Amino acid sequence: MPLDMHCEMILDEYRDKLPVFNRIKDILLANLRKSLDEKNIIVAGLETRIKTEKSLTGKLELKGYKYRTLDDITDILGARIITFFSDEVDIISALVERMFEIDWENSVDKRKMLEIDRFGYMSLHYICRIPKSMCDDPAMPEINQVRFEIQMRSALQHVWANMQHDMGYKSDVEIPVEYQRNMSRLAGMLELADEQFSRIRKEITDYRRNVQSLVASGNFDEVPLNGDTFRSYCELKPLQRLADKIATINQAELYDDSLMPYYNVLVHMGMKTIGDVERLRIENSEAAYQLALLQLAGTGLDIVAYSVALQNLCIVYILKQGFGEAGLVRMFAALYGESAYNAQRASRIYQQAKKINLVS
Amino acid sequence: MDVKITNQDNKTLVVLDGRLDTTNADRFQQDVNPLMQMEHPDIDIDCSGMSYTSSQGLRIFLMLQKSVLAHGGKMVMRNMNPQVKEVFDITGFSNIITIL
Repeated sequence: MPLDMHCEMILDEYRDKLPVFNRIKDILLANLRKSLDEKNIIVAGLETRIKTEKSLTGKLELKGYKYRTLDDITDILGARIITFFSDEVDIISALVERMFEIDWENSVDKRKMLEIDRFGYMSLHYICRIPKSMCDDPAMPEINQVRFEIQMRSALQHVWANMQHDMGYKSDVEIPVEYQRNMSRLAGMLELADEQFSRIRKEITDYRRNVQSLVASGNFDEVPLNGDTFRSYCELKPLQRLADKIATINQAELYDDSLMPYYNVLVHMGMKTIGDVERLRIENSEAAYQLALLQLAGTGLDIVAYSVALQNLCIVYILKQGFGEAGLVRMFAALYGESAYNAQRASRIYQQAKKINLVS
Repeated sequence: MDVKITNQDNKTLVVLDGRLDTTNADRFQQDVNPLMQMEHPDIDIDCSGMSYTSSQGLRIFLMLQKSVLAHGGKMVMRNMNPQVKEVFDITGFSNIITIL
């Protein structure tokens, strides 16, 4: 269907303003990325697009009569920020409010528009302008005049919107009655899942805080060994003394690496609580040092990793428990995967352990 | 020590031959410096000809590994002889660097 003269004028205006939209798009994307980075906010997606001429033509064919000029169409340029969790949408919107001039009259919180018995397309749409504080270019003053849209939604809201769009419906009102119930059930499920993800994340955050205080309090026997508790325990640098002592053998530099790879080894060794790990440290530190002394003295190697302390503690524990070379091979396999090196290394250490009477 | 660096199929192969010690650590550092500028490097270090590494060698491998990770890449060392592997083991460097 050919466009009427009025719509053709809007289309001409669009073509003239494309360089402006492109410039705003670059400014918008760069500033959004920078702000998200600065605030350490990780999003599931950040995308921008300029409406194509074909798409605009389609829109004008359908409802061109609603628009006086191109300025009345606020979604020629759009950005979409997709968060992992629904409660992050409010954090992002606060950020967007601080960054851009918001046209409140035309901005929509679709999350609040749905009737109580309806679910579906939920996202926050802000109509914005670039403030002069962000970009002031006398050669292109339109940068601060043209409006654009920023959509903010969670990943699941995004999935829902895309599914609906893919099925050819822009809102659930257009869905035939017989399918509405099923669509509502699905939408409700996604909305509930979104809420649950946010709730679970909050609970995990609270749990980690509790674990940190429990570990910090020193009641190690009350703290079950898991990835979170072990990380908190490691933050206390429990092996610093032993590692420093090992470093002293060659007046070595101590490289501060992570102990986390040893979590699986400790679990394999049957440790159930942080208290078990603490006993491993207390009861085996001297033997772990003696092993390091035997291995490092006279080598001139003047750099050692912090993790060598836990490495030797585990070796000593395994040998003391009578698991022998096979136990060491299992430990190395848990750390580095299956490898021919593991048996060679276990054999070498076993011979060294005999020299310091760790094994007979 | 001889260092041979070749690139093929987006992979960088480093072949080491000889002793890595105080006498040649600076030169080795210069040899690997360009690898620290690469984006998403995929570095494979063949140590089958390397007979020894000193602490300076360990430091260079550590620096290279940190740079590789910072640039979103990966690095593995392979075919170490038992003496060289022992140096990595007793210093705890086997916990830091992937050795195949």
